[in-house]
Amino acid sequence: MQTVKSVITWIVLGGSAATLAACTTTKPPAEKPAAAPAAPITAAAAANMGSNCFTCHGPEGRSPGSIPSLHGKTAESLVKTLQDFKSGARPSTVMARHAKGYSDAEIAAIAKYISSFK
Amino acid sequence: MSRITRRDFLKFTGGAGAASTLGMLGISSTAHAAKHGNMGAHVVVVGGGFGGATCAKYLKRAGINVTLIEPSTKFVTCPFSNYVLGGTHKIENITHSYDALRNSGVKVVRDTVTDIDAAGKSVKLKGGKTLKYDRLVVSPGIDFKWDAIKGYSEQASQKMPHAWKAGPQTLLLRKQLENMKDGGTFILVAPPNPFRCPPGPYERASMVAYYLKNHKPKSKVLILDPKDAFSKQGLFQDGWKKLYGNMIEWVPGKAGGKVSAVDTKTMTVTGELDKFKGAVVNVIPAQTAGSIALKAGLANESGFCPVDPKTFESKIHKGIHVIGDSSIAGALPKSGFAANSEAKMCASAIAAMIKGEPIADVSFVNTCYSLIAPNYGISVAGVYRVTEKGIADVPGAGGVSPKEATDTFREEEAKYALGWYASITADTWG
Repeated sequence: MQTVKSVITWIVLGGSAATLAACTTTKPPAEKPAAAPAAPITAAAAANMGSNCFTCHGPEGRSPGSIPSLHGKTAESLVKTLQDFKSGARPSTVMARHAKGYSDAEIAAIAKYISSFK
Repeated sequence: MSRITRRDFLKFTGGAGAASTLGMLGISSTAHAAKHGNMGAHVVVVGGGFGGATCAKYLKRAGINVTLIEPSTKFVTCPFSNYVLGGTHKIENITHSYDALRNSGVKVVRDTVTDIDAAGKSVKLKGGKTLKYDRLVVSPGIDFKWDAIKGYSEQASQKMPHAWKAGPQTLLLRKQLENMKDGGTFILVAPPNPFRCPPGPYERASMVAYYLKNHKPKSKVLILDPKDAFSKQGLFQDGWKKLYGNMIEWVPGKAGGKVSAVDTKTMTVTGELDKFKGAVVNVIPAQTAGSIALKAGLANESGFCPVDPKTFESKIHKGIHVIGDSSIAGALPKSGFAANSEAKMCASAIAAMIKGEPIADVSFVNTCYSLIAPNYGISVAGVYRVTEKGIADVPGAGGVSPKEATDTFREEEAKYALGWYASITADTWG
């Protein structure tokens, strides 16, 4: 089963970093989006969230047009950018409206997923 | 290509020679299935638009054997077809082939599904073949209620185009606009809810006004609407006033905007209070799920298809998933982006079901840009999760562009609209 996963889960997060991030980041319940899953974020769930980014940012984050590429960015820089969009520290047109839809743990999981494409 | 991918896969999973051969023939290996789920399973996808093409692509990436059935050799997108009407884009710019999907190992069959046998798990094709499936994805877009407006029909759409399925209808409407005399009225008959692309009719009015302002400035755009409100309404109306003065007039339902009849001979449109004569008349009829979904009994009394919000499996027929405009997807709009997002979640769920793995939590996104002019863009965005009430907006996220914004902000959104199109079409057909 492990071999199967290594072949087919290139679209899915490898390792347990996302899970760790989910466990180590705690937020007051009031700030959490109402529908956010309480359980640790699985690699497959992170892939589901992260794959939605490609619709605007291009397949695997490689943008063919005017929207910035995400491919090649580190998880740390993606987390920082998303958090800055979320807080408003960095101005945006649409990204604040997206970033506000995710908890800190989810942002960490999405960033890890997107940075996994080599 | 699909054979190579599949063979490589089986090689990696340590499948015996016999299993590989069986797999290549499309027959599932029982021994293999017992160990690793039913990896020989065959998924058939009906329709090669934003939903179907994305789902086929992501299923293939997950190692699933997938056949996509689509009647056209190339797909013309509804998104950006308003810019063909406005003259800033050519139809070639919004036309996409299936070559990349084929090269990635998706079996693309040019045919039309005429019947779905949910109990027998097979689809019948117009060309005469019958295809067996383990899971079916139905993504046929929308069809029209041709009898909703008296005098309108498929034949009448040759005189008063709907242009709500892009392609020849888009070109016909563009030609009528080019032939229109300065000083004429372009009438847009807007559809009732629910319909494909909620901001679409109003973006269309904008792009038609953009063309008319530059080429036939004495003309008018009249929107006759059965509704009293529409998507991004404040932003559209502010933009219309700023860019086009009084050129665009919107008549809501409460002011008699509901159209009951049209006459293609006299080019008149009958509202509740008045009759209107148009130089060009664009009738966007009321809509239902795609006809194959209706024929297969996948729709309820609403004309659209109830589905499980996490897997998009039909609530009526097990083993069949309905995505895109045909589905009832809670707070998600009927948009190309939503169809793309639903397709990814559906592919993820189907792959998990086939592999015998748990179905992961899902998350949906939508972003729809509209151009009021080529340098004036507005957007609506949303993040969605599954709640006990179905697919719902994540509170605090999403929303429309700010009402007060600089010209630079509107220009940026117009620029991102173009980038959005390049990316979503690459993600879907690339």
